[in-house]
This record gives sequence, structure tokens and C-alpha cells, in this order.
Amino acid sequence: MTARTMTIEPVSAFSSLDVLVAMDEGLFMAEGLDLRMASRESRDIRSTTEGTLSSPVTNQGRLQERGEATMFQG
Amino acid sequence: MIVCAALVVPPDSSVYVPQERAHRMVGLDYGNGTAYAGLQMLEGAVPRDAVTTCAAVTHPGERYAAMLRGEFDATVLQEPWITVAEKAGCRLVSTTFFHGTWVAGPDLDPEVYAAFLRGVSRAVRRIKADKRRYVSYFKEGWSAGYPEVQALTPDDFNLGRIQLREPTPIPEDEARWAWDWMASWGLIHGTFDVTAQINRKVEREAHDLAR
Repeated sequence: MTARTMTIEPVSAFSSLDVLVAMDEGLFMAEGLDLRMASRESRDIRSTTEGTLSSPVTNQGRLQERGEATMFQG
Repeated sequence: MIVCAALVVPPDSSVYVPQERAHRMVGLDYGNGTAYAGLQMLEGAVPRDAVTTCAAVTHPGERYAAMLRGEFDATVLQEPWITVAEKAGCRLVSTTFFHGTWVAGPDLDPEVYAAFLRGVSRAVRRIKADKRRYVSYFKEGWSAGYPEVQALTPDDFNLGRIQLREPTPIPEDEARWAWDWMASWGLIHGTFDVTAQINRKVEREAHDLAR
């Protein structure tokens, strides 16, 4: 069976320990999914200190907006 | 995955209970789930007009350091920084949990998403069977370069703060509550429309395939 590929935005253990373990232990591949994690370039990273409560600056979703990732954690 | 967020004060803070947070500056990483969890912890204890916050950096380690420098009176942290803060004598004034929710575009293939759900579910079962084995993951990634994190041992972690659940469809009442709560703070506008927020066709098909 050929694995399907999907790319997600970068994640951290505090919110995605399950995803990181599944990647490292081959659990996605065992389900026919070649899961890849995109990396952010410096141009993708802005500080949350530039935003306000009602108009926040977040880095989540930028790679997905550009079509470089299918999913991100909101 | 369930995210744990803790409202933390420095060791020398006069704040011991959430009600004492009124009119005290809390540094939040606006726009992220941790910040919204912080607002919910604060508004559960003090009137909204007494909730006082400022923008703080996204990286919890840098936010923690800014709090210790006195740039604000408290902040909200996730693991491993909750554990780091506790070891340094900081106090957890309150803790809460929230869902990390995946966001996808309209082109998400249900079969691919189903494979993702199956992989995550298998990982959840493995981790829950032996959480201590996996706490080293909290020392990697964006926490890797911090000596205070690297000094943590597996026994330092409170496993009760590491909670996982196999993925389920998003309950409409919870999505509506989250929307209405955010709207009440002026963070989003308009009324909740479940069809605009959740693609039930893709969600249902993927969860059916994942069984």
C-alpha cells in the first residue's frame, strides 16, 4: 500500500504529545499516512507582543494559508 | 490532546488565591489557547473589569523569565514550564485544561484525516499506558535549549497534568459555547453558525473510517 502524505504545521509536546509519539513510533505510517511537519521560516514568526487582546498576532495558520500545510492546531 | 494551563505567580508574590489577582497585571500570549485559558481562570475569580492583562511573548520559557524579572505579576504556563516554575518555588494559583483543536482547510481528504485519527488514537493509548516513559518529549523542541528544562527528571513531572483523549467529533454545544464566550470578550464578531465552523460531512466520514 502506498502511504498518503499530509503536512501539518509545527507542534509542541504540551499540545501534541500524541502526534509526536505517533510520528516517532511509526503509528501514522502503519495507518498508511506519511505525516510530515512543516517548519516556519523567520518571516513566518511574529511576536504576540505586537498584538492586542482583540487584535492578536499569532503564527498559527500561516503555513496553511499559503498551502504549505493541511492542518494546524488552533 | 488535552492542554494543561496554570496561572503562576513568582515565589515572593503576595497572591495565594485567584481572587487576589484582581487588578494585578497578567502577561498573556494573546491569540493562543493558553491566553484564553488564562482569561477563563481569571474571570472565574474576579469581575471582568478587574481582569488586567498585557501582551506577552508566545514562548512560555521567555514569558516565565519576564514574570521573574517583574515585567508582570503573573502569567499562564504550559508544561514543562509549569514544572520548572514549581521547582523554582513559584505557586500555581489555579490550573485548567482545554482541548487542542485541529483546524483544516476545505480540501482535507476524509481518508487521510481518518488515518491521522487512527494514528493519534494509537499514540494516546500507548502514552496513557505509561506516561512517565514519554515525559522526555517535553524537554525537546522549543524547550531544548533551556538548562532549567534539561535539569528536570521524569519524576519531576506531575502526570495528572498530562491528559490525553482519543479524538472525537467536536460537540456543537461546546463549539457554540466557545464562540459565544469569545464574542463576549470582543475577540470575534457575529453569531455562531456551525456549518461555517465545522465540516460535518468530512468529520463524520473520517471518524466513521477511523473506527
